[in-house]
Amino acid sequence: MIKNYFRPKTIDELSELKLKTKGYLFSGGTDLFVKLRAGTIDTDTVIDTKYLNSRKIEITGNKLFIPINATYSELRMFIKQNNVNNMLENIVKTIGSPMIRNRGTPVGNISNASPAGDFVLASYLFNAQVIIEPTSRKLPVKNFIKGPGKIDLRENEFVYGIELEILNDYKFYFEKVGRRNAMIISIASLGLLLKEKDNKIKDIRIAFGSVAPYILRDENLEKSLIGETINEELFKHIAIEYQKLSSPITDVRATKEYRKSLVHNLVIKAYNNLFEKVVKE
Amino acid sequence: MKINVTINNEKKELEIAPDDILLDVLRRYGYHSVRRGCDTGMCGICTVLLDGKPVPSCSIFAARVDGHEITTVEGLPEAKELAKILAEEGADQCGFCSPGLIVNTVYLKKLKIKKIEEVKIKLIGNLCRCTGYVGQHRAIEKFLGVEK
Repeated sequence: MIKNYFRPKTIDELSELKLKTKGYLFSGGTDLFVKLRAGTIDTDTVIDTKYLNSRKIEITGNKLFIPINATYSELRMFIKQNNVNNMLENIVKTIGSPMIRNRGTPVGNISNASPAGDFVLASYLFNAQVIIEPTSRKLPVKNFIKGPGKIDLRENEFVYGIELEILNDYKFYFEKVGRRNAMIISIASLGLLLKEKDNKIKDIRIAFGSVAPYILRDENLEKSLIGETINEELFKHIAIEYQKLSSPITDVRATKEYRKSLVHNLVIKAYNNLFEKVVKE
Repeated sequence: MKINVTINNEKKELEIAPDDILLDVLRRYGYHSVRRGCDTGMCGICTVLLDGKPVPSCSIFAARVDGHEITTVEGLPEAKELAKILAEEGADQCGFCSPGLIVNTVYLKKLKIKKIEEVKIKLIGNLCRCTGYVGQHRAIEKFLGVEK
């Protein structure tokens, strides 16, 4: 039962309230309300973050900064207007519905740390740094997220924003497998970024959602692929390696066996789509 | 606690509790077009405009809208016209999901969206569980003047 509602304006005020009350932060509410109603969160205090004087979405150097409270809709508009990291749009537009995107926030998605979080997957692909206040800590998202719903955050801290790399000249593929077209929580998802030179891999980033307790990305495997010639054989190798690395579970959405085959097939599908091996009628 | 909010162009001072949800407050003050559906933001039935943008009123604390503008079906003059077309096209079997759909469709009219593919994408979050979407789309196409 919620008895207190706070609207802090400064970082210190917010931090003090969080430490003192153990309250939950409310920005978009799209996830918070589901948890409150399901009873997985029990709190008497809500801390509304919307009144916080924070920075806006902005480009600083070669980074895209997304602050607390910025919604998916706002991010999408910024990406279009500034022609930056356009690949992100393909992920953002699949999240929830237009109404949810007018409320939900990327920072909220990362703080929830679900292995199915679409923006979490995006943040892994773009080597996101999580900016934490009031301690001004900054750490890579892969270190920030410790497991499903578990994050490296002290009681007085909150996520102030995230910084994504700005990437140019990458081929991009994203697919989310679900049971319908809207409001899907993915059964499995794949995001792939690839930079090539003379048909050889210059840089590759591969991330899977919902096939392990965390977003699955293996940077050592990625490094081992640099310089390799791009062909079907190589992608078959990648598909098999990631299938080995994945550790999906069976849940209401799908079985672990199905998810394992998806890991393999999504990689092959990405190759076919990126390199136009798909026969178009 | 008290909040000041403009509902359908009328300034109001409302008495609310910290845990009040916008959906419940609107209903309590007589805006009965706003209905509770799934209560998780998934179905679109409780959609209202917050500062002109469609949002799920079931997932917003009423305290958040202090100083903001809310529009419901009651405050949209075009709503009647769309409701009439929905009825004519047999798109309203039970009518429970209509208010959310109407709010969102009138919003699309303001954006001057006329491509059916775009309309379908924008309305993806408005679920209907009894009538189905064929009749709805006929009505919406008429209302928006979708080019064929």
